[in-house]
Amino acid sequence: MALKRVLTLRTVIATSAGLTLASSSFVAAVQVASFLAGDAAWLAILTAGFLCLGAACCFSELNARLPSAAGIRLYFSRAFNDRLALTISLLYMTVVMGVVGAESYVLAFVLNAAFPAVPPLAWILVMFMVVTAMNIRGVKIAGTFQELITCGLMGSLLVLGFMALSKVNFHLTGPFATGGLPAFISAVAVGVFLFVGFEWVTPLAEEVTHSRQVSRGMLLAVGLLSVVYALFTVAMTATTPRQALVASPAPQVVFARNVLGPAGVIWMVILSLAASITTFNAGLISVSRFVYASAREYVLPPVFSRLSMRFFTPWVAILTVFATGVIISLVVLVTHRYLVLVNLAAAIEAIVYALAGLAVIRLRQKDRRTGGIFVPVITALVFAGLAVAVMLTDLYVLPCLVAGFAIMWWYVYRVVPVLKSRYQPRRPSRRRPVAGTAEAGCEKS
Amino acid sequence: MATHEEITASLLAFQEGYNKNERLKIMNRDWDRVVLVQASDIPSQHTLELRNGELSVREGAPPRADLTVISDSETLADLFYGDITPTEPYMNGTLKIIGSEDDIVRLDFISLMIWGE
Repeated sequence: MALKRVLTLRTVIATSAGLTLASSSFVAAVQVASFLAGDAAWLAILTAGFLCLGAACCFSELNARLPSAAGIRLYFSRAFNDRLALTISLLYMTVVMGVVGAESYVLAFVLNAAFPAVPPLAWILVMFMVVTAMNIRGVKIAGTFQELITCGLMGSLLVLGFMALSKVNFHLTGPFATGGLPAFISAVAVGVFLFVGFEWVTPLAEEVTHSRQVSRGMLLAVGLLSVVYALFTVAMTATTPRQALVASPAPQVVFARNVLGPAGVIWMVILSLAASITTFNAGLISVSRFVYASAREYVLPPVFSRLSMRFFTPWVAILTVFATGVIISLVVLVTHRYLVLVNLAAAIEAIVYALAGLAVIRLRQKDRRTGGIFVPVITALVFAGLAVAVMLTDLYVLPCLVAGFAIMWWYVYRVVPVLKSRYQPRRPSRRRPVAGTAEAGCEKS
Repeated sequence: MATHEEITASLLAFQEGYNKNERLKIMNRDWDRVVLVQASDIPSQHTLELRNGELSVREGAPPRADLTVISDSETLADLFYGDITPTEPYMNGTLKIIGSEDDIVRLDFISLMIWGE
């Protein structure tokens, strides 16, 4: 018996890197650089990437043990308990919605830089409507298209980086000047945001030709991203005044205009659109599928499990995600607090990676398996430390996370049991004593 | 633990429910798939084949499957009788479905249409 599996290692790398590369990544990259004294952002980014390799190893092991699209919900449920897994998953999905909000805000400003006559709000609404329509119709970005987008993006960023650095004769100001250990730790902690989403590729475990490809793909994607981000960020800070980059919600456009003039702006608008479309679409698909699955197990009201009879997609869940995304984007547009969402995502991602390390240790204990303890322990400790560092860097993050966790905990402990008792059907079992079955219409082969 | 015969009976109940639903047949006219249903605790394999909207059940494994549904015999029997939804065992890892995400959602949808929420 053979199973038709279609995705290759190249697609896995492209998907993992493509989901991670977003317009808001450039904002985070500039933030990383702003913590450091010289052009030392590459050091912080490579360190963050190296640490994410540890997290990727933990996700690889979890994925090999439990290859399922359910991801962290299943890993943490098996390692700890279902309620904690559900609480963290709900919180994580809420933060993903926040990232989508920040992404739409940044992209709206990128597009506004190219077409000043159209206000950012119009761009936000257009983007959400386009992606929601794609989701409802069940349109997915094909593997080959994803490969093209990711290769084009990475290649362009490298070329642009080299072009910019050649303008300053590859001269860097203080390439090793970190400005002290606390500043460096803060930079690495925020640098984790640059890799947010590399593990979203684990649901592909059910579609690849060999399950090990997901593990290899994640590691290679993190490695490639580290190099591309490091080079591009150093090119940005070496050629463009740091104040101008930090002050803009679209620093990549400021940099491109500075290096190549109007042609650079057009190039960067195309790159940002390509970077955003995959992240944006994947974010909305992940959250809407999560909402649908939660409604199917009565964690949310059953109305969210309604499917379109035409396209077989969860339309109520998709429209709910659309409405939530637009509201978050409007709040960001009014408050301009997009960096809080970036830092919040970095913190929750660090917490999830720390828990992934702990989950590996716990599952090994449960299964009485042996294995190197170094990587999961270091991953758990380092990412717990980085989560604390993000909270100290941005004082909005801790209260937001505590409030979010408390609400989700209350919801899981108080509301979910009520929903289950109200909606879970209590029908008599349909099973009947079995007589002869072959006569009833089942062929023997 | 359910027996192989109980799983067969549950699949036949599933087939009967499917075949009674004309709307479901029309909706799946363009979704030709071969599904392997395999128990993890007893030697039991079945093939569900959807072709031109018609569903057939066979004992044994197919030469090539688009989707593979693996679980313990008790969960499989409960699942195809519609006593439980696929989501809960899928989320807690009892039920494993190997295939594309869209196909998994479609299978869940068919179960929803046959047995209700």
